[in-house]
Amino acid sequence: MAALFEDFDEIADLAEGLDDPSAGARIMAVIDLADSADPAAIQHLARAIADSDPGVRKQAAQALTDFDGRETAAALVSALTDDDPAVVQAAAISLTELKDPAAGDAILPHLSDPDPIKLTACFAGIKELRRPEAMGPAIHALQRPETDLRIQAVGVIGWLQDEGSLPALRDATKDADAQVRRTALAALGFSRSDHAEATLIDGLTDAEWQVREAAAETLAKAGAASCIPALRAALDDAFWQVRLKAVRSLGKLHATDAAMEIAPMMDIPIPNLRKECAAVLGELAVAESIEHLKKYENDNDPDVRKNVRWALGKMAA
Amino acid sequence: MPLAESASIVPVVVDKDLCIADKGCTVCVDVCPLDVLRIAVKDGAPETAYMKYDECWYCMPCEADCPTGAVTVNLPFLLK
Amino acid sequence: MDEIVDGITQIDCDILIIGGGTAGPMAAIKAKRKNPDANVVLLDKANVKRSGAISMGMDGLNNSVIPGYATPEQYTKEITIANDGICDQAAVYRYAEECYGIIQELDQFGIRFQKDQNGEYDVKKVHHIGTYVLPMPNGDTVKKALYRQLRKARINIINRYMATRLLTGEGRVAGAICINTRTAETLVVRAKAVIMGLGAAGRLGLPTSGYLYGTYENASNSGEGYAMAYHAGAGLANLECFQINPLIKDYNGPACAYVAGPMGGYTANAKGERFIECDYWSGQMMQEFYDELQGGKGPVYLKLNHLAEETVAEIERVLHIVERPTRGHFHAGRGTDYRKQMIEMHISEIGFCSGHSASGVFVDKHARTTIPGLYAAGDMANVPHNYMLGAFTNGAFAGLDAVDFIADVDHAAFDQGEVDAERARVLAPTKRDDGIPPNQIEYKTRRLVNDYLQPPKVTAKMELAQARFAEVREDMETGMYVRDAHELMRALEASTILDCADMAAAASLYRTESRWGLYHNRVEYDRDDENWFCHTILTKGADGKPTHRKQAVEPYIVDIADDEKDAYQNQRVTKTVAAE
Repeated sequence: MAALFEDFDEIADLAEGLDDPSAGARIMAVIDLADSADPAAIQHLARAIADSDPGVRKQAAQALTDFDGRETAAALVSALTDDDPAVVQAAAISLTELKDPAAGDAILPHLSDPDPIKLTACFAGIKELRRPEAMGPAIHALQRPETDLRIQAVGVIGWLQDEGSLPALRDATKDADAQVRRTALAALGFSRSDHAEATLIDGLTDAEWQVREAAAETLAKAGAASCIPALRAALDDAFWQVRLKAVRSLGKLHATDAAMEIAPMMDIPIPNLRKECAAVLGELAVAESIEHLKKYENDNDPDVRKNVRWALGKMAA
Repeated sequence: MPLAESASIVPVVVDKDLCIADKGCTVCVDVCPLDVLRIAVKDGAPETAYMKYDECWYCMPCEADCPTGAVTVNLPFLLK
Repeated sequence: MDEIVDGITQIDCDILIIGGGTAGPMAAIKAKRKNPDANVVLLDKANVKRSGAISMGMDGLNNSVIPGYATPEQYTKEITIANDGICDQAAVYRYAEECYGIIQELDQFGIRFQKDQNGEYDVKKVHHIGTYVLPMPNGDTVKKALYRQLRKARINIINRYMATRLLTGEGRVAGAICINTRTAETLVVRAKAVIMGLGAAGRLGLPTSGYLYGTYENASNSGEGYAMAYHAGAGLANLECFQINPLIKDYNGPACAYVAGPMGGYTANAKGERFIECDYWSGQMMQEFYDELQGGKGPVYLKLNHLAEETVAEIERVLHIVERPTRGHFHAGRGTDYRKQMIEMHISEIGFCSGHSASGVFVDKHARTTIPGLYAAGDMANVPHNYMLGAFTNGAFAGLDAVDFIADVDHAAFDQGEVDAERARVLAPTKRDDGIPPNQIEYKTRRLVNDYLQPPKVTAKMELAQARFAEVREDMETGMYVRDAHELMRALEASTILDCADMAAAASLYRTESRWGLYHNRVEYDRDDENWFCHTILTKGADGKPTHRKQAVEPYIVDIADDEKDAYQNQRVTKTVAAE
């Protein structure tokens, strides 16, 4: 009878396979080391990531996803300059799986690297580790010509939630690339400052609708009563997606003045928008909007119906 | 053998040149939820992985986990 | 490999967990953490690295109850309404209270949930007032992350063994009989508690492609949990509430119009018109879908070709990368593109699954079945609308409760004759020289399921099904033939599938009313709240056939107002709505 249970072999025994002359056998050793889930395997995988065979190196870069910490991060960063793009890609993905802030120690020294691929991967890796030391290099990287790099840099800044980064984020909302602008506007969500709100209001008139959508959505978090007129203007946006976020944000900001502009929007034959309008009218609870809601008490869309009834119930209470 | 043999085109294809079953790799065989893959043996030694049973859910772990990119999962002919 | 070997081994453990997909690993991790001295064994007929419904991953949580976005009260109310009122709220409420803790734990495991640009959870609004959807950007690594935790906890993992029957004795569970899927050797596991997480019965109906494994559910989920619970004497609830889902025709993967819905996509008829307003899955929605197909207005399509390029790209990213990554290949092979044309949809084959309907092995809020020491969690247990997070959370409940259960008990004694009888049953197809192969037994069973059990349900057709199933059973028991251990696994699955087919017919005949839209549309009967506002419980009778009883729905913890109860009725669009 074959072994019944999965093995828990000694790491040193598994690591011997890394010296096998056959690349295939070394790949199998890497897989076994990863399956061990034992941190003692990291040093051996760090050796495998410098193997002569690109297949072994790629497997080692993937295998390090199963581990965390400084040693793991250092091995992965070293693989970012591999000759084989598949190894670089695997290492970049594994870097984003790190959770231990200490792993950042191995990434921080590389945050000014001229290689855009390496630098982008390093920012993507350090983002979730929330290391304040990454702020300066991230702001600096906003001047780089590579779009993906700027997007990752904005991500690093946003996750650090530091009011001091507002000027840099504001500049990024004027970036040439729409995706950078959208990311930067969304990153302002943490702020409670007038500057952030003013920047978001500017975003509501951006040329690209996804950017306007991000601005309208984020104002619910970073906006105050002062942004209500701008959001009301956004109710006329050419894209329903933008209107929908504006409606939602007006609800969250308790913009009762906007209720009678939202109420006629119940007649627009777009269920997503109707259901949002109904919910927000309930939150705003302005009596004049009841007539508009009642028309849709038996709407075909169960979600619209539920929201309308919920809204009417709330206003009756 | 009382049972008829019926031909069937199978969805999982293994590139023999890339497959390292001869080095002891059994990753695709190990991960298949329906256990339809096997290692072909030639002259008593493992040679390459292949799809032995036509019972594939085209779910892809064999392709995703193959360390050398030797495995391709196509959609079964009956539904592609 | 695959040659049949004669052999039997017996091992002892404290907690045996059958099924290494979603619920099982979480049960194992929780049990081991609560009692590190407990001998916990996790057994799977595949390899736990890649077993179960989330083999390739999952694109997100659609029932996360996160403080600030939804409350347990709201969630419990929604789920009660979605199940036509028939659910015991205690288990739903407990899930809703504790699932956020599980989300945080999964996050610790390295399973990443979508966060906004400030690193906060980015919950998406799909349902109404409550907000429950939390995307998982690296959802393809779920199984890997779970496996890592199992290894770290040093759980004893047994791969490639299929449990075929539970053992009972002294009025409680005593263990399980298992068979190696590559050698046919027998393994008897004595256990003080057994947790079942064996997934849906996904190979019950036959998909329209006719390919046995082209199922909606992972085809390895062939319903062993239902069959084992049944033969052990446990109660199974509301099995007549079938799972039927809208899907991409032929590919048979979920269409997920509800994913596209918030971004402006919808289900349309042949003219490109919207005919249902809400794409959230329910029996009523499926009934409208069915009516459109039958009413000459089909085919029914997923319509995205009116959306902006960026929106389509985002939908593609979500739908194609995880859960069923071959979906992109399928569209490429057909030359279909969401941008250019609508994509043909269809109705799935029937199955048992509590993910989308309130049926399964009856459990309480501790995941306890009606047999002491026996637990069930995930798609096979009757906590409704579980999905992946429910499997994790209820699996955790089972693991935690099982540790308490084993504290004061020893292994229950069981009748050795049960083991001998089960070995004889299991190995019978290996003892013949000729006969019917398992794939033909399975095909015939499932073809009959489609012919006679697919709703709308007709009494005479279901009775015919029962007669034909009995004939297939006779042929199976006296004439099924296998050539190797792998075929023997398929033979045992064929037997399980037939058990599930029998239960599906019996349960559907017992509830003499219509409920849950298409799921239990009995054309001869209307809805009957007076007599049928209850669970139906199916057990194995003394004659070896299904027997039934009614069981009251537990008094609600969260009240449902009368005008909220029909939330899912009348979904048909009354006037044509212009494309957006």
